[in-house]
Amino acid sequence: MSFLQALRAFFREAAINLARGWKVSLVAVLTITLSLFVGGAFLLVSGNLLASVERWRGEMRVVVYLQPGMAEDRVEALAGELRRGPGIAGVETVSAVAARERFQEAFPSLSDLVEGMGDEPLPPSLEVTPADPAHRPPELRAFLDSWRRRPEVSMVDDDREWLGQLENVVALLRAVGLALGVGLLVAAIFTIGSVIRLTAYLHSDEISILRLVGATEFYIRGPFYAEGFLQGLLGGFLATGFLWAGSALLHAQNPDALLTRLLAARFLTPAEAAALVGLGAGAGLVGAIASLRRERLTVAENEPAAE
Amino acid sequence: MIQFFQVSKRYPGGQTALDRVSFDIARGQFVFLTGASGAGKTSLLRLIFREDVPSEGQILVNGRNVSSIPPQKIPYLRRTIGVVFQDFRLISRKTVFENVTYLPRILGTDLTSQKKLAYQALRRVGLAHRLNAFPLELSGGEQQRVAIARALIHEPEILIADEPTGNLDPELSWDILRLFLEVNLRGTTVLLATHDREMIQRVGRRVLTLDAGRLILDQELQGIDPPRLEAPAEALEPPGPPVLEAAPEAGA
Ligand SMILES: Nc1ncnc2c1ncn2[C@@H]1O[C@H](COP(=O)(O)OP(=O)(O)OP(=O)(O)O)[C@@H](O)[C@H]1O
Ligand SMILES: [Mg+2]
Repeated sequence: MSFLQALRAFFREAAINLARGWKVSLVAVLTITLSLFVGGAFLLVSGNLLASVERWRGEMRVVVYLQPGMAEDRVEALAGELRRGPGIAGVETVSAVAARERFQEAFPSLSDLVEGMGDEPLPPSLEVTPADPAHRPPELRAFLDSWRRRPEVSMVDDDREWLGQLENVVALLRAVGLALGVGLLVAAIFTIGSVIRLTAYLHSDEISILRLVGATEFYIRGPFYAEGFLQGLLGGFLATGFLWAGSALLHAQNPDALLTRLLAARFLTPAEAAALVGLGAGAGLVGAIASLRRERLTVAENEPAAE
Repeated sequence: MIQFFQVSKRYPGGQTALDRVSFDIARGQFVFLTGASGAGKTSLLRLIFREDVPSEGQILVNGRNVSSIPPQKIPYLRRTIGVVFQDFRLISRKTVFENVTYLPRILGTDLTSQKKLAYQALRRVGLAHRLNAFPLELSGGEQQRVAIARALIHEPEILIADEPTGNLDPELSWDILRLFLEVNLRGTTVLLATHDREMIQRVGRRVLTLDAGRLILDQELQGIDPPRLEAPAEALEPPGPPVLEAAPEAGA
């Protein structure tokens, strides 16, 4: 029998076994689905967050917030002073009015909050563009620290600081997701293994006949390997489908929401989705192989024949 | 074809099933194996197709040393041996057709040829019309005959049968025996374990007698040829071209 013929026979046999024992198989498929979904979700979310971080990294600025109600010419004077600092490429003045308009544009639903309160509610600020957005030379850091202590300054906000924290959070998220995904995957492999062993046990009479008429180990084990592979494959497809559905749901509910943009700006690439499905199928195969590794597959072989 | 040299078999429990048994069965011989219950008949047969290994001694089957054959070669040995078990070993989930075509299937035979082979084998045991039945829908004797059809499907070099007529009425027993003799005439070496002294006396041929694991008698009885066997032949269908319409559909 040719290899391809054998494979076809294995998969047909496996499909029949899956259909017959679908309740047990479902458990195995769902554990694979869960593990791949959790792992995939963490990777997707952290991937999207990292992409945002990358985008922001190029735009990182230092914002020096001044005291509210400061006069325009005083603001300009401070801007001039700041421009002469070390490692600074440029300084842009944002007046209190401009700050309010920006806020209203960014958060239209909150626009009432800053409207008609007499005084401008937001402080004027100076947006400093460092010469090198990714790094802060010591002179610049010392310079900015000295500004933090000045009475005209209410706050110095360096994007880099919180961006660095965000990066740490994303890295943590990724590690947790990976660990969780791997842990669940191992559990899934064991589940698939148990299901395969159960199927093999239920078929031990047939296996002993196959042995008797001269089937090779490859032929005997093939259908079980195919079954594990199919269970994993199914789990991979389901997990990818659920991820896609979750992402689509976020987009459908609120395409412009920050959450949607952060978490679901980009779905898995076809290659990543294929890798996820492949991982499922591989896990199923590993589970099947591992579960039958030590198995004689039959107990009938060395038992006394029934008299 | 089958040679035993001082073969002993002791089971883990300490039970000695065979005690220094030696014999030589030539290709094409028809041999009865007899002895009281527990004499070791089944134990002996199982050693031939390597379902078990001897505790001592050597066994050659078709020139190959069965106890030292590498595991991956065992399947190829078994494909040349048809076995009928005392307990049939049919798979109740599978149809008669599926039960008899395990060997063609593992050899990759296409479905049409499988049906043809199954039909031919089942016709020889008079069960061609039960191709799509399940084993539990058959009588004990019919199940026995399905097991025989499974063993015969690929014209084995050696046919081993453990009490193949144990569940059959005398008439059917004779039909089955005649079938074995026909198979033997076509060149298959037959080794048949039975309690049935009367049958052995009527058929003749070589008889090996076991007693408590020892081969106590190896005698050649006066034989009769299958055509002279007086037995009603009606139970067996007359030979004819295979009727493939009677074969099951794909995947049956
Ligand atoms: N797997 C086994 N483990 C332990 N003892 C066994 C085993 N198989 C058979 N025996 C013992 O070996 C002896 C021979 O048994 P065997 O089955 O070969 O006899 P038999 O001649 O086939 O009997 P019967 O005519 O009843 O079928 C018996 O005493 C039996 O109890
Ligand atoms: Mg026996």
